[in-house]
Amino acid sequence: MEQVEPSSVHVVAGRDPALVIILLLLFLLFLLLLTVLPILHQIAIKHASLVQSILLGVSAAKLNSHGGVFSSKADPYLELSVDGQPPRKTEIIKKTWTPTWNEHFTVLVTPHSTLDLRVFNHFQLKANALLGSCKLELYPLLCKNNGKCQAQKTGDLQVVLTGMDINMADYLPNGQANATDDAVNGVSSGPSPSAGSRQSAAASAARPRSTTNPPPNVNAGMARLSSADSGDGAANVSSSEPLPPGWEMRIDSHGRPYYVDHNTRTTTWEKPTPLPAGIMQEDPLPEGWEMRFTAEGVRYFVDHNSRQTTFQDPRGGPAKGPKGAYGVPIQYERSFRWKLGQFRYLCQSNALPGHVKLNVTRENLFEDSFQQVMRLQPFDLRRRLYIIFKGEEGLDYGGLAREWFFHLSHEVLNPMYCLFEYANNSNYSLQINPASSVNPDHLMYFRFIGRFIAMALYHGKFIDSGFTMPFYKKMLSKKLMLKDIESIDPEIFNSLKWTEDNDVEEMDLGIYFSTDFEILGKVEQHELKEGGKDIKVSNDNKTEYISLMTNWIFERGVVEQTKAFLDGFNEVVPLQWLQYFDERELELMLCGMQEIDVGDWETHTIYRHYVRTSKQIQWFWKFVRELDHEKRTRLLQFVTGTCRLPVGGFSELMGSNGPQRFCIEKVGKDSWLPRSHTCFNRLDLPPYKSYEQLVEKLTFAIEETEGFAQE
Amino acid sequence: MAATRRLGKELSDIRTSGQKVFRDIIVDESNILQWNGLIVPENPPYNKGAFRIRIDFPAEYPFKPPKITFQTRIYHPNIDEKGQVCLPIISAENWKPATKTDQVIQSLVALVNDPEPEHPLRGELAEEYTKDRKKFMKNAEEFTKKYSEKRPSD
Repeated sequence: MEQVEPSSVHVVAGRDPALVIILLLLFLLFLLLLTVLPILHQIAIKHASLVQSILLGVSAAKLNSHGGVFSSKADPYLELSVDGQPPRKTEIIKKTWTPTWNEHFTVLVTPHSTLDLRVFNHFQLKANALLGSCKLELYPLLCKNNGKCQAQKTGDLQVVLTGMDINMADYLPNGQANATDDAVNGVSSGPSPSAGSRQSAAASAARPRSTTNPPPNVNAGMARLSSADSGDGAANVSSSEPLPPGWEMRIDSHGRPYYVDHNTRTTTWEKPTPLPAGIMQEDPLPEGWEMRFTAEGVRYFVDHNSRQTTFQDPRGGPAKGPKGAYGVPIQYERSFRWKLGQFRYLCQSNALPGHVKLNVTRENLFEDSFQQVMRLQPFDLRRRLYIIFKGEEGLDYGGLAREWFFHLSHEVLNPMYCLFEYANNSNYSLQINPASSVNPDHLMYFRFIGRFIAMALYHGKFIDSGFTMPFYKKMLSKKLMLKDIESIDPEIFNSLKWTEDNDVEEMDLGIYFSTDFEILGKVEQHELKEGGKDIKVSNDNKTEYISLMTNWIFERGVVEQTKAFLDGFNEVVPLQWLQYFDERELELMLCGMQEIDVGDWETHTIYRHYVRTSKQIQWFWKFVRELDHEKRTRLLQFVTGTCRLPVGGFSELMGSNGPQRFCIEKVGKDSWLPRSHTCFNRLDLPPYKSYEQLVEKLTFAIEETEGFAQE
Repeated sequence: MAATRRLGKELSDIRTSGQKVFRDIIVDESNILQWNGLIVPENPPYNKGAFRIRIDFPAEYPFKPPKITFQTRIYHPNIDEKGQVCLPIISAENWKPATKTDQVIQSLVALVNDPEPEHPLRGELAEEYTKDRKKFMKNAEEFTKKYSEKRPSD
């Protein structure tokens, strides 16, 4: 390949501090002096439309109350929002007017972005109160990139934010901006005592807190590419379709376009659509192969070894022909297994390197997970998950993540929280609760649950409870029909069906294109169409009526929540990845199989230091056969961390390192309790002396153990 | 409103019909979804008194059936201590959006007048009703005198 190879060029741009900005703002009721000291490195002012990723450090704030307004100290936290995007929050610091957060956020900004910083006082039982806020416009700050932002209003409010490290693309637009390197390379750490010293700190370019950051790392090849990138050049070549956030198109020295993903600091030849925020991070081609594009933009592969070309990707995976979904020939059989393979392939090829740690407690699983998942960028959730349950030892080789999905889904979908409700008294599937707004933050929670459910699909994990079929259809943007009402509300379905089948004029139903909806004790009227309250339903228009009613029944009170859920989902897994599944397949993917087939279980179990004919093994299966469904499920959960099975049954049981059959190993002495290794689907079964002893010990283990004796 | 409009018509139809078995209907103007009224049975042992009932209509009416609750205690195999009554015409399986409240009330009055011990809510009363009708009548009459409301004079 004689081409310039863009991959791996665009690397960590060095978090060298470059720009110090002091911002002082007057605010509302409280004395808060704001000092924002972001260090911006090589900002490309000319590339106004380019998205950059910056690291914003939120260190501390000094909040002064006008005595008497609050009798006690505040529990402050800071919300950061870029250009009106959903906010990200710091942790809540308890009982202080001088919170120290020391948290860092990677945010995507353009030079024209506005950072909205708000400090809130957290309350358990009522809405959180705004303590102060400031808007930080990047552009004016960048213009004054010597770091001396004009102190507009000294005085009333003070928050000190240090270490806003910009982790910029390291190209130099027309030689500009690099001067900042010399001008300012740091920031004072910690709260600055006064405005005067803040300015001097900025001017004297103190080192930032994060001095461990690597120096700028401008790759030589990159620099060459950059020089070819002549400012406005990018705009001329780009096609009409916008790139996902964090992406940039560049032209190499041969005039070929390629794409830089600032999110992952990778480059690719392939345009990152139609996968929003998707990253086609692919395996390298085999030796001697090259990828090229036809004039139409269809990619093909050149095998220089045999001097042949093909549309077939030599790395395996789905064919990259010009037709069909994801470039897959349409004539492929779309069986579920095939579709699942496609989906897994999409997930794998869009996986990100590294891992993402979630630190949660079992006691506060919901809130801990919510805070952490929402503070991360959606694409971070595609990294390998590493779950830590605080206070428990154990390395997450997959088992803990599985547990996390299982238990957290149980929590977030629990109707007790009023976010979801059971479809009806006899259908325990879940749907969005129209009254969820009793929780003022419900839309943030739905966005979180959307992300979480997408993560479960993405990482191939199961959740504890399932959604209603109509809910899955909504995820697939399939049209909902009258028949779909049957499973969630049989009474309404029967009545509408009756209306469809009978003469409504003769029976004088007395109904109009208007309907009532009761929410939180209040009955509201809804017109199914304009002027509907005066349009009587007749035999002629009843088909329209039923169709409008059907839509309404699935929409009423849940439109915003559904949108928030789907938005959250789409951030992690683009919804179009699901488009070839139907709702039942989606349920299977998310919830696994429900019934446990003991025969299948036994067939696909392997043994270590036991054999199939060992008497303990024979007792074990006798015991399993004698268990009722619930106990069997708990035994399975004890060993594998979940009570769901993969769609293919026990033969497809997955461990942390890929397929991992259920395994029983002889360990220890007969006085021991059985232990389980959820990451390896392994049960350590001591060589018990009798069937009764085995039953007693196993029963004890599965009854008494939750997250104990497991590893 | 959808339910309101139809219920308003049904209510005025019942009121103008001048029927005697269901009367003194009280409906709060702000909430037509709840009716209160007096059932005045004709058959013994319940003809010694009158029984107040409440009808609750769901917002989805007439696509979902109303619910009926006795506010007055009654000694009846098909009506339990909480005043709940199991009326086939308003069960989920049988409900039709064309069913009118007047039909529901007639069906209820018929049930009060002639208990159906085959489908009891109170097994012990159903047993007494079938095995010792005399004792049942005596108990029910005493109960009615003790707890029921006064019958309207007209």
